[in-house]
Order: sequence, then structure tokens, then C-alpha cells
Amino acid sequence: MSDKRSDRSYVRELMKSKSGLFGLVLLSLLLVTSLYVLITIPQSEAYKWDNPGAWQGNPVSAPPAWVNYFGEDAPTTVSVPLTGWTQSVSGSIYTYTVTTSLVWNHAVTPSDFSVTPIFNGTAYEVSITWTKPDGTSIPIVLTSPSSDSFYDLTASSIQQSIIPYIQSQTDSYLSSVSPRQELAALFNKGGPSILNDSVEQGTYGVTVQVIAGAPQSVSSLSKLSLVGDSYGSMGTDSVGRPISLGVLAGLPWALEIGIISSIGSVLGGVLWGGLSGFFGGWRDQLMQWGALVILALPALAFLVALSYSTPLTVLNEALIIAALSWPFFAILARSVTLSIRSQTYVEADRAMGISSTRSFFTHVLPRLTPVTIAYTALSVPAGIITAETLAFLGIEQGNIITWGGILNAAITFDASVHGWWWWVLFPGIMIFVASVPFVLVGFALDRIVAPRVSAK
Amino acid sequence: MGYARFIVGKTISYVLALFGAVSILYVALFPTMQKVIEASADEAASDFQRTLIKGHSGLSLAQIQASVATYKASYLSAFGFNQPFPVKYALQMSNLFQFHLGSAFFLQAPNGSKQVIDIIVAYLPNTILLFTTGTLLVVAVGAILGLLAARSAGGKLDRSIPIIAIIHSSLPTWWIGFIMIAYFAYSLNILPSGGISSVPAPTGLIAHFADLLSHMTLPLASFFIVNVGGFAYVIRSLAVSTMGEDFVTTARARGMTENRVLFRHVLRTASPSIATQSILAVAGSFGGAITTEVVFRWPGIGYLTFAAITANDLPVIVGSTFILTVILFLGLYIGEMTYGLLDPRIKTGD
Repeated sequence: MSDKRSDRSYVRELMKSKSGLFGLVLLSLLLVTSLYVLITIPQSEAYKWDNPGAWQGNPVSAPPAWVNYFGEDAPTTVSVPLTGWTQSVSGSIYTYTVTTSLVWNHAVTPSDFSVTPIFNGTAYEVSITWTKPDGTSIPIVLTSPSSDSFYDLTASSIQQSIIPYIQSQTDSYLSSVSPRQELAALFNKGGPSILNDSVEQGTYGVTVQVIAGAPQSVSSLSKLSLVGDSYGSMGTDSVGRPISLGVLAGLPWALEIGIISSIGSVLGGVLWGGLSGFFGGWRDQLMQWGALVILALPALAFLVALSYSTPLTVLNEALIIAALSWPFFAILARSVTLSIRSQTYVEADRAMGISSTRSFFTHVLPRLTPVTIAYTALSVPAGIITAETLAFLGIEQGNIITWGGILNAAITFDASVHGWWWWVLFPGIMIFVASVPFVLVGFALDRIVAPRVSAK
Repeated sequence: MGYARFIVGKTISYVLALFGAVSILYVALFPTMQKVIEASADEAASDFQRTLIKGHSGLSLAQIQASVATYKASYLSAFGFNQPFPVKYALQMSNLFQFHLGSAFFLQAPNGSKQVIDIIVAYLPNTILLFTTGTLLVVAVGAILGLLAARSAGGKLDRSIPIIAIIHSSLPTWWIGFIMIAYFAYSLNILPSGGISSVPAPTGLIAHFADLLSHMTLPLASFFIVNVGGFAYVIRSLAVSTMGEDFVTTARARGMTENRVLFRHVLRTASPSIATQSILAVAGSFGGAITTEVVFRWPGIGYLTFAAITANDLPVIVGSTFILTVILFLGLYIGEMTYGLLDPRIKTGD
């Protein structure tokens, strides 16, 4: 009876403590976000994550779009939908045409130029006429194009179309071009020094023609993209994956591992330590020894080695973390139990001949409950960090996106060397963001609970 | 008298516990371990074959093959291969404890040896250097901060310690390392981004030492930032609970200065728990700390493990897990001994 009432008063006190309340609010935000992620980001995104080809068309290693507010000129991707195709027939040649325009008002070129034509049959060619603001036109021809393919500046037909234009401007022979030179050709002011001149700002005209030998239906999903130099709220990594997607998709897994491992280890530890302290004597010695055995296993190295004989899933990873970290709580719970055991009501039980099991469940365990909840909250971050550290070392369940995995890619591709700070910063901050609410709630609970337990 | 009994009792209990922990390791890694042993036997057999052929032993090819097969069989039987589990367990455990960890698939020690134990011995001192220094720093500064916070409970320092402790529990050391490298090494360009010495290494003892220090600064700083707050928090709670005791009140009533009360009475009483806590803190941060080596390319055992994961070098992974278990045990054991040394009740045999 009295225990029930005090449980409720713990919650009330938690709400009263400023940091505890703040922690609770953050915690609910975290849970809502993770639910949102589970509903809106399908599992297929995770499969896509490991397939670099799926991210074509995104800028690579691009900073977040908001760097533009801090004096950078990092254009975002401009995607021009090619809609409103008009058909013209001449003999057996069917030509579909669309003409559109776009405005480029940046002092830098985009990072890539790409065309994705979509049609339902076979086309002889797709021909693009790129007209600069000063009126010069550059013809670009994709010979025997395939539908729904991604043609960018690395496509040889685009390179072969641009080389003659550069040669005509610079009056010198060119055997191959780099994407950078192609961009210069498409966007810089014409003339002999076109490759080093400044970008022409203004309205660019685009005419796209699909030429085929039979009637086609050309999709209005066809598009032309000027791939930018910045992307979304958190930028992209070196294959163009949006960091923001990874950061969101990593949240549910992190929470799952953190919460399961913490509940497991704290429950196990509190029961073990509680019983050990309550029994005393040789049983206490033996149980303490048992905790020591587990305490001495280096959790991380052990998990690494274990992953070679047991396939790691999120669930068994969490359970193994729990199985390796409970001794910390056993030690804490044992010392709390020792102080409970010396209380008069426990001694009274013994004097009255009440069985020790019963006395453990009626007196000791209820008084360990608040501490248990505080520990559980406090140890969630440890589970999260262990799991992310493992992922960082390259050990994780396949087909899930984790922050550790993103950071592993960041170190593999030398993100710090290149100054791609967004790739390192956001996943790491998410580890912090996911952990802090638990720590806040845990500390607040600990402060409420600690004096009651030790009060004599 | 009391301390001697304490030492003997604890030593037996720790040795048994080490045995228990390694047994758990053994059972959990059993399939991997068998693979490692078999591969090591193959490696040793082909080494043997090469010496036979190169040594012009005068044997025919068939004779060589026969003796190589015998050699391999004897190697495997030394590890209890093809024997029932209890025999296998006994033999392989005893091999583990003699540091017969097999030979690596791909990795090598700087001296060219492929023996796992040689590789680990080459990398281990760097780990010990970095993390002993780091731990000493954290314990010293953390203890002082914690005690000062306890002295003025409710003061500015006292209120800021939980904030540092939150950082401690919510951030991986290696990530802080990442950020530090990006800022200090690449953006400001004032400290090396990783490794243990410059290439080429500077000549002269002082220059060499300065070079080592500059390489240690960033890893130490990240280890310190992440761990000092949590440790100070623990010390603070220990000190606060000791300060409520009657003898502290008595000492104050006798007109002692607050610093004297704090460092003479409170610190001395709390020191056994502080010793235990520091060891536990180190044990707890050990795993994350070795990952720091990966970020800083610090050639220690954590970096070695990462290299082994990348190369799928199972013998090295199993071997370093075993060695880390032994080291963690030594740490815990030293902690327990220090506790016994500091706690006067144990000395007097109370």
C-alpha cells in the first residue's frame, strides 16, 4: 500500500525537478520521432543505403543547404522536369520535343549535369540543345539511349558531344575531358579561356528531343538535373547518401538496443546483487565471485570476437550487451541491499520466522524498485554507445542503418581530412541526443531516490 | 596478518575468476577457435615443409609429404583436435594460458613474425602507455574536482559537475576524437592527426619525446574530456556521503580548516572506495577507449583489433580478446589489492 503511494510520488517529484521534466519531454520527442521513422522510412531504404548506385543524382560530399546562409555559395540541386512533349512526324521518324529554361544565378557551376530520359520503346537518340544566356548553343547527343538511365558528365556520349565545343572555343586539341572541364564548357563565358573563365549567370535554354523510329510515349517523369553543391539539412556522404536520412533511420535501432540492453542488465544485476546482499555469507561470496567473472570480460572485444561465431541481430546484440554489463548493477544493488537488510523491519521478519524468500520479495525488492528505474534510465546510453561503437568497428546486423556505420564510412573515406564536417558531426550528435534524455531522467530519479534509500 | 589473509583469499578468488571468464570466452568462441587452430596447424605444416625442402634433407617428395602430415597431426593433437570435448577443453585452455595463440592469417608483427602473441606484444605497450597516462590524469583531476565540489555543495562547481557527467555518459570517446582531429589537426593544423610518431621520426631523445607528446595530446584530451566528469561525479557522491558522518562533524568542531577536514579525514576515509571506483571506471571505459586508437591510428591493441576485423584475421581477434581479458583482470586485481591496502579494517584483520 504505502509503496504504491510512494511510487506515484516519485513521478510527481520527477515532474517537479526541472532537468527531470526536461528529460521526460525530450524522451517523448525521441520516442515520437522514432515511431515516425518506423512508419515513414521503409525497410527498403536500408537496402538502398548499401547500394551506392541508388544515390546517383545526389551531390556527393555536399554540405547542408543552410551553409548558404553563412556566406557560402553552394547551390542546391536544380531539377528541371521535362513535361509537355510535342510529337512531330517526318516520314518514319518520330520526334518528341520539349523546350524549357532555367535560371542559374550562382558564381560557381553545379557539381554535375545529368539527364534521365524515360520512354517506353526504343529511341535512336536523345538530343539536347543547351543554350547559354549569351545565345551560344551546345548540342549534346545521347546515341542509342536506354530509357530511365542516368546520363551524367561521365557518360561517354555526353563527353564526346562537349569535346568539339571546347575545341572550337580554345582552338586546341583535346583527347578527353574531366567533368570539371565539361561543367566549365557548359557554364563559363565562351572564348579561348573558357575553361578558366567565370560562370555566366542568367537564363539557360534547354531543348530536348527524343528521336525514334516508331511512336513513343515519352514520360513526363523525364528530367534534367543540375546537381548542386549542398544538400538537405545535413548534407551527403561521398556516394551521395543524405546524412539526414541515415541519422533518422538510425534512431529506432539505437533506442531498441539501448533500452533492451539496459532493462536486461539492470534487472539481472539488481536481482543478482539484491539476492547476494540479502543472503550474505558464503552465498554472497559465491555470487560476488560470479559477478567478478563477468565483470572481467571486456565487453567490446568479446562482442567483436563473438560476432564471428554468432550472427548478430539487433536483439541478440542487445541481450549479449546486457549479459556482459549486469555486474556493475549487481555491485550497486548489493550495497543498497546491505543497508536495507540492517533495517529493523527486515530483522523483525527474521525474528518472526517469516521465510527469507518472502521477506526478500516483500521488503527488499520493493525498496530496490526506484533505484532500479533510475539505473535503467542511466544505463540506456551505455548500451547505445556500445552498439554504435561496434557498428563503428564494422560489426552490426546487415541491412540496418546505424550512426556507427555512417561514422565508419566517414573514417574510411577520410571525411576529417577533406573537411566534410557534416558527415562526422551529425551522426555523433545523434548519439548524444539519443542518450541525454535518459541521463537527465536518470540523474533526476537518482537524486530523488538516493536519500530515501540511505535514510536511516 | 589480516592483510596477508586478505591477499591470499583474494588472489585465489581472482585466479579462479580469470579461469571462469576465459572458460566463458572459450565456450562462446568455440567454433571460431577450432577454425583458428586448424588454420594455424596448416600454416605451421607448410612452414615445416618449406624448411624440409630448402634444407636439402635428402628426403624424397613422398617422404617429405608423409613427415609433414605427421607434423600437422602432432600439432593438432597438441591442441586436442579430434579428441572428446573435455580433453580438448583442457588442452586448448592450457595452450591459451601459455599464450599459444596460433599464427595470424594476414597481419604481421613489425619484426615479421606471424605469431599472434608476437603481434600483440608489439602493439600492447602503446595501449598501456596511452591509457595509463590518461587514467592517471582522470583520477587525479577528477578526484580533486569531486572533492572541491563536495566541499562547497550547491556551489558553481558542484552544479556544473553533473553537466560534465552527462557528457561523460552520452558521448563516445572516439567521436570526440574525430571532432578534435578535424579541428586541431586539419583546421588549425597545430597537432598531428594520428599515429605515434612523425615520419621520419625526429632524432635526439628530447625531440623524440616532444614528438611523442604531441601525438599523445589529442587522444589524451579526448579520453580526459569524456571521462573526467563521470569520475568527479562519483568522487563527489562518495565524499558527500562521508561528510555526513559524525567524525567529520567532530573534526570541524575541533576547529580544523575545511581543507584539512577534506583532505585528511574525508579523503582518507573515502580512499578505499575511490580506489575501487577508479578501477571500475577504467574497466568501464576501456572498451570505448580502445576504439579511440582507431580514430587516432594509435598503434595499440585496439587499432590492431580493428585491423584484424578489416582483414578478417580471426586468430588476432580471438588472441586480443583473450589478452584484453587478462589485462582487465590484472586491473581489477590491482584495484582490489589497493582497496585492501587503504582500508585499515582489512589490515588489522577486523
